[in-house]
Amino acid sequence: MSARRTVGRRLLVAVPVLAATSMGMFALGAASPYDPAEQYAGAAAFTATDENLAQLRANWGVDDPLPVQYWRWITNLVQGDLGWSITRHEPVTSVIAARAGWTLLLVGAALALVLVASLLLGTVAAYRRGGWLDRGLRAAAYAVEAMPVFWLALAAITVFALVLGWFPAGGLTDIAADGVHAGDVAHHLILPITVLAVSQAPWFLLFVRDSVADSLRDDHVLAARGRGLPGRTVLFGHALRTALLPFLTLIGTHLPELVGGAVLVETVFSLPGLGAVTVQAALGSDFPLLAAITLVTTAVVLTANLLTDLAYTAADPRVRLDG
Amino acid sequence: MPRKRRLRPLSWLRPGTRGAALAAVVLATAILACLLVPLLWPLDQSAVALDRINQPPTWTHPAGTDDLGRDVAHRTLYGLRVSLLIGAVAALVATLIGGAVGAVAGTVGGWTDRILMRIVDTVAALPHLLLGIFIVAMLRPSLGAVILSIGLTHWLSTARIVRAELLSLRTRPFIDAAISGGASRVRVLTRHLLPHVLPRMALATTLMVPHAVWHETALSFLGLGLPPHLASLGNMINDGQRSLLTGAWWASLTPGLAIVVVTLAIAAVAAHWRDRLDPRVRAELQL
Amino acid sequence: MRVTFHRLTAAAALVLAVTACSATPQAQDSNGGTIVVATAGEPDTLNPVLNYGVDGASLIFDGLVARDGRNELTPALAAALPDVSADGRTVTVKLRDGVVFHDGTPFTSADVVFTYRAVLDPKVDSTLRSDLDMLDAVEAPDASTVVFRLRYAYAPFLQRLTLGIVPATALQGQDINKSGFNRKPIGTGPYQVESWTAGDRLVLTANDRYFAGKPANRRVVVAFVADDNIRAQRTRAGEFDAAELAPKLAAGLGTVTGFTVHKVPTADYRGVMLPFGNPVTGDLAVRKALNTGVDRKAMVDGVLGGAGEPAYSPIPPTSAFADATVTGKPGADTATATGLLDAVGWVPGADGIRVKGGQKAAFTIMYPASDSLRKELALAVTADAKKLGIQVTPEGLTWDAITPRMKTDALVMGWGSPYDPDFVSYKLFGSKFAGEGYFNLGLYKSAETDKALQDGRDQADPAKRKDAYSRFQRQLAADVPWVFLTYLQHTYVVRSTVKGVQPRVEAHEHDVANSLWWNLHTWTKG
Repeated sequence: MSARRTVGRRLLVAVPVLAATSMGMFALGAASPYDPAEQYAGAAAFTATDENLAQLRANWGVDDPLPVQYWRWITNLVQGDLGWSITRHEPVTSVIAARAGWTLLLVGAALALVLVASLLLGTVAAYRRGGWLDRGLRAAAYAVEAMPVFWLALAAITVFALVLGWFPAGGLTDIAADGVHAGDVAHHLILPITVLAVSQAPWFLLFVRDSVADSLRDDHVLAARGRGLPGRTVLFGHALRTALLPFLTLIGTHLPELVGGAVLVETVFSLPGLGAVTVQAALGSDFPLLAAITLVTTAVVLTANLLTDLAYTAADPRVRLDG
Repeated sequence: MPRKRRLRPLSWLRPGTRGAALAAVVLATAILACLLVPLLWPLDQSAVALDRINQPPTWTHPAGTDDLGRDVAHRTLYGLRVSLLIGAVAALVATLIGGAVGAVAGTVGGWTDRILMRIVDTVAALPHLLLGIFIVAMLRPSLGAVILSIGLTHWLSTARIVRAELLSLRTRPFIDAAISGGASRVRVLTRHLLPHVLPRMALATTLMVPHAVWHETALSFLGLGLPPHLASLGNMINDGQRSLLTGAWWASLTPGLAIVVVTLAIAAVAAHWRDRLDPRVRAELQL
Repeated sequence: MRVTFHRLTAAAALVLAVTACSATPQAQDSNGGTIVVATAGEPDTLNPVLNYGVDGASLIFDGLVARDGRNELTPALAAALPDVSADGRTVTVKLRDGVVFHDGTPFTSADVVFTYRAVLDPKVDSTLRSDLDMLDAVEAPDASTVVFRLRYAYAPFLQRLTLGIVPATALQGQDINKSGFNRKPIGTGPYQVESWTAGDRLVLTANDRYFAGKPANRRVVVAFVADDNIRAQRTRAGEFDAAELAPKLAAGLGTVTGFTVHKVPTADYRGVMLPFGNPVTGDLAVRKALNTGVDRKAMVDGVLGGAGEPAYSPIPPTSAFADATVTGKPGADTATATGLLDAVGWVPGADGIRVKGGQKAAFTIMYPASDSLRKELALAVTADAKKLGIQVTPEGLTWDAITPRMKTDALVMGWGSPYDPDFVSYKLFGSKFAGEGYFNLGLYKSAETDKALQDGRDQADPAKRKDAYSRFQRQLAADVPWVFLTYLQHTYVVRSTVKGVQPRVEAHEHDVANSLWWNLHTWTKG
């Protein structure tokens, strides 16, 4: 199974699914009872006359028939014009461009933190099954799993920003700073990244712990042990390596959850990322912006999935991807 | 053998222990309370008492009162009722969709199966919360929109489980016997396959309930959930958040604890059930 | 792609920086010239033509006129207050000399004409047109004179001249709706825009050529924090010099040393609109009973945390046009209210809900679901009505769901402008506007009210206007188309070292423009 065929097969499904999603979203948007003119005007809609609002609608062609509107939307989309955000009053492309980087940074850093921490802690927990670390981690994992992310975030702000004063309570840079400095951004992002990582960790941690525990009982690991290799070599050289492959696919399937967590974390920490703007767009029923963000995020996640698959095939040639 | 006992960490989440029984009792009590509370202690959803706002817990108000003077314990019970209802209905919707897709894929097989499973993989890549936000934003925030947004995004694991189960059953001799005995495809499906698959589906549904409750609270927290004067756990935490800074921690603590306790209880009961069913499906049913 | 790469490098630097940044930087001490304010509402655009800072005090722009600390009109880009002709239909404005825009282009009458013509242009997506329907034409006889021609005499026209003036050269020939100007505008005001990160902050720098003198501070940062709690937390953490907070949260910070709480009086009222098309709310006795039976004092104390005052009319007590005889009891007068209902035959049924001629005294009060204050007021009215034997069902909805039901279901609404009694009220209570847009939703029709409102805008003489608005308020109190509940006080928390804060009566609309920081350019920080 060559890499090229993997890509080809994936695209063969991804493109129709994206197209169907876009059509479904457009239909939903068209069926939506909201009046775009009023959403545009915001509070001013209340002082605007009906005639005034009708002029706005005519200017945007929102009274055209549906297929005409969909065709206009999708052809523009394909050409890279994602439309005009009716609540933000600027091109959707520039809304996304200005914010996507921060969301990527947040999600990327949190993912890295989750991976490193869960691999390390999970392996150690598996090695000392039933020990206090194992018990403690598992209890914590189940508890965190049951907690909504925004709860964790609020608790973190209360403890680390208000009581201890170690980190700022929100924002991206120090509010009086002139410009964006890496150190400043880092100081502001430690808390949100950690919260996002902690909220996603249980899944990964439990997975690593269980699969390392299983592989410790595998024949080749037992054999390695029998040959008298030191415990650490057996653990990290054999058991962890066996457990690592399924872990790779887990990352891909778990990305959507991570994106959802990022939306909530960004909202609580008032970060200028895509998540926060999605919520604002939703509250204002800003169809062009919402649809574009959902489509773009989906495309990114699909690409990331493809990459993990490719990594998987590269790492283990036995794997067939057409299950 | 003490060594073997140490191999069972967190024993209260493990099968056959008093822990699972305890969880079952907690869950049963919660459900019973939710069912009975309208009869025993009816709630006027809109009752406010501005003369007793933000009171800390006392004997008359065991969980205190909120910023409109409403009893937090009472509203938490109602909130649990609403959230569990949403969770259960949404999980049911998801199970129906997933079950249908899984059944078609698992029984028809071949290209249909391949295509359906690829679609499942791709839909799994859609960010659930974003899609949920989109659906709720375009329809109005309401009970129906929230249920739909959860149901439409959470059917994938059920589809996979049902398909896998059907595929493994197809190789069993008793199915061959039924088919060679002249039973129709529909009859084989309903009489022979479904009874084997149903417990798995029920388990998947149960496991989805906490997730759906979580989804509801997240949407309500973002202001995209239920009408805000309704007592739902998400609305209550959202309202209670405001009181947190003025020192009234009790307004959000009780509904928050309700989510955590019920989620853990469902998870523990389901874990017990899962381990009794078949260790093979564990990977699919990871919490 | 390069941007992303830089951000990835930033991510790498993050790990290194964790150790370096263990101490919280207290940047506000080293940047003495920077004032940081925080607000919930972020403007959609910074272009006055598209509705930014229409009532002036927008920090970036100036109108022809501005308002001082007592909301009195003062000349701004006009050299003196404009001249109104005897028939009230020609307004002549002499412009101030030597004013330049931030980009250095001189300000002339062409800019004024361009600004107002842009508002009137149907191709421009501006909702301001509705407020300027009396405006027929704008002309510039010479570079320093502008003449406005009105379709009809309109007494408060000068109040509409606070609109910020945009430079014609920067916008001419462009699609104003989608111009880059809307996000990085050029004005004549005390501050120019350095950057605007949507969802985060607006950074302004001092305009040293400002016509009224150099601003007292070099830089202004407006932080946009939509969530009340997060704004309060960040204020407590010391990030802001001034922030608007919900009253209860502000009260919590008032006890923290180093902050001063300002409760600013407003014309921003909340009330329940009672539709005449509903068989229950259409009954005058029910409306009057509700008006006397609601506990306004409990709402001010319990819902607003004390930051407000009872409201009985749409003209705030701070206005010169307020009629002191239109008032009521702050507490609930349940006895009088039930007496009113008993007198006309609304008698309690078996369930305690009153009935008259087979009609149950029950109706719905709608509120916008995203507005927690209106939700709480709706619930408070529900509880008060229950004590009178009236069953109210609160319903939290989105505006689109509210709209089709406004003629038959009651609605918690909020409005108010301190500048002129004609604003808002003319359309809200005039029978001409019954059922149009969001104006006269309840289809209230009264010849007396119509006449009073018309007199108020036709008459130029202040004494005659005051008389007209007295008649208006008394008629409204007799007909009760709305139960007015409370006037809000906007609450702000300001660092105690900040000097120069001068609260003035505020309008319903306030964010970057027209908030406590309307005179920010004169604030200093000790």
